[in-house]
Amino acid sequence: MSLLTQYDADAAALRRGIRRFLIVAVLATLAVAAAIVVRQGVFRQTTNFSFVTNSAQDIVKGQPVRIAGFRVGSVADVSLKDDGQVLVNLEIDADHMRFVTHDARVELRKDGLVGAATLEILPGTDLSRLAPAQARLKFSRADGLAALANQVRDEFVPILKDIKAITGALADPQQGLPGTLAQIRSSSEALNTLLTNSNRQIEGIGGTAIRILGKTEQDLKYLGQTLETANQRLPAMIDRTQQVLDHVEKITAEAETSVPPALRDGSSVAADVREIVSGAKQAWPIRNFVDAPAPATLKADSDPRGEAARAR
Amino acid sequence: MRASLLLLATLILAGCGSTPQPPEPQRLRAALEAESEGAKRYQRGDYAFAARRFDEAVRLHAAIDDSAGTGRNRLHLARSELALGRAEAALVVLASAAGGADAGFALDILLLKAQAQLALARDAEAQQSLAAAAGLCSDSCAQAASLHLLQARAALAARGAADALAHAETALKLLQGKDQAHETGNAWRLVAAARLAAGDAAGALPAAQTALDIDRRLALPEKIAGDWLLIGDIRRKVDAGDTAAAYRRALAVADAAGLIQISMMATQALKDIGMEKKAAD
Repeated sequence: MSLLTQYDADAAALRRGIRRFLIVAVLATLAVAAAIVVRQGVFRQTTNFSFVTNSAQDIVKGQPVRIAGFRVGSVADVSLKDDGQVLVNLEIDADHMRFVTHDARVELRKDGLVGAATLEILPGTDLSRLAPAQARLKFSRADGLAALANQVRDEFVPILKDIKAITGALADPQQGLPGTLAQIRSSSEALNTLLTNSNRQIEGIGGTAIRILGKTEQDLKYLGQTLETANQRLPAMIDRTQQVLDHVEKITAEAETSVPPALRDGSSVAADVREIVSGAKQAWPIRNFVDAPAPATLKADSDPRGEAARAR
Repeated sequence: MRASLLLLATLILAGCGSTPQPPEPQRLRAALEAESEGAKRYQRGDYAFAARRFDEAVRLHAAIDDSAGTGRNRLHLARSELALGRAEAALVVLASAAGGADAGFALDILLLKAQAQLALARDAEAQQSLAAAAGLCSDSCAQAASLHLLQARAALAARGAADALAHAETALKLLQGKDQAHETGNAWRLVAAARLAAGDAAGALPAAQTALDIDRRLALPEKIAGDWLLIGDIRRKVDAGDTAAAYRRALAVADAAGLIQISMMATQALKDIGMEKKAAD
């Protein structure tokens, strides 16, 4: 008898345990179901907006919608209209409605190069008027990889064309560098010959004039000496100045017509590169491995142009 | 094996843990780098670029009130201007150097000034600068050889061949055993020019040939072309048959290096001896 009584007590305890487990399981299931429902926004106050685009690429139902990086809603529906356009409906939490102005814009962005696409609502400038419910917003796509590639291509194509033009212009024997140098040299030679002849004539005249002046009037002797000195010095200076001017003018004129703009920017590019290299040298840890140079000394050379040999 | 690894690790740690060298202030470093780059370019013969870098170094040193660096770079800049044949510009630089430099640069300034004045044919002014320089430099001073060479050039310009030869030979003695190939070449060239001016053309020829050999070793086109002109003049004086060949070599070198002035001189010399311009031998 006592054995039966003991069995009944054990069975009742087991039943109680099973009942408790079932209740907990049902409650847990209800909680999960409630969470799902809440997550789905059944009890959430939302407002719908829409936008129209010509392609549904990278736009899917359930896709998050963000404002300033915060998730504020999702794509409720993507549908194809009769005219072939794509209608996208957005569901935005009512709490965040204050950010959606009447001139707000929806932009499709990608997180990094291979990240997921998200829709970002960009508030407009007029914050005084909010967008009404069911408003149709403007839509645009942010620059993706294809756009970036196009941008790079657009930047590079003119440079490549310039390089092609430079190499063509430089290699041209008539108009290019060889031709230009030949022209400069021939012009300089002609000019120098002209100036040398003129100098000789001037010197001759100067010498004769001094002799005459010396005979006729002693006081003008000093003036004659001054003229002679000027005669000796001026030709060399005029010759040199003229050569420099001639070269500069010639090169500038040639550069204007035959050297493309990219080549003329060379000096600034070189300056930039020098700046970068010098910046890198001064950056840690490179600066620890590059010692500052010692003050320079140049080899003594009292006649760097070998002028002593030309004192003829 | 383990002990050597331990030793190596200890050495690396010691190296990492040692007191780092205090870095130079960045502005000073930038100034020294500009100066160093200018010196490298000068050595390569790219005098225009060297001048730009020395000019930048002058400004950088002046900006940190480093008078030694500023003066030093002004002298470098003046040397570059002289090498470019811009003696007037060199004189301007030297005038500003004389105004702000310390006394250590006075002799160099005077020597460079004389060099520029000789290039501009201001012989009297050059004589004055050299006289002032001689007062600052005995035969034991580092620039004594350069001083004698400039004095030789000045004497040659004043048609004092004997004086020029004496100064050039003194410079040669001072340069013996010294690593100053540029100045040694200059000295031999001056010996040759002075002997030629004194009528000793036979003695001038080997001196000019020695100058040419040195300048060829240093690969200095302007000097090589000048040496060939001088050799041509000497051969002409001694009535050697290969005078035209020397002038043609001068012309070929000058044409190849784009030295218009020497090219014209060689062409004129060929005309003077009744030879037309022909291809180099």
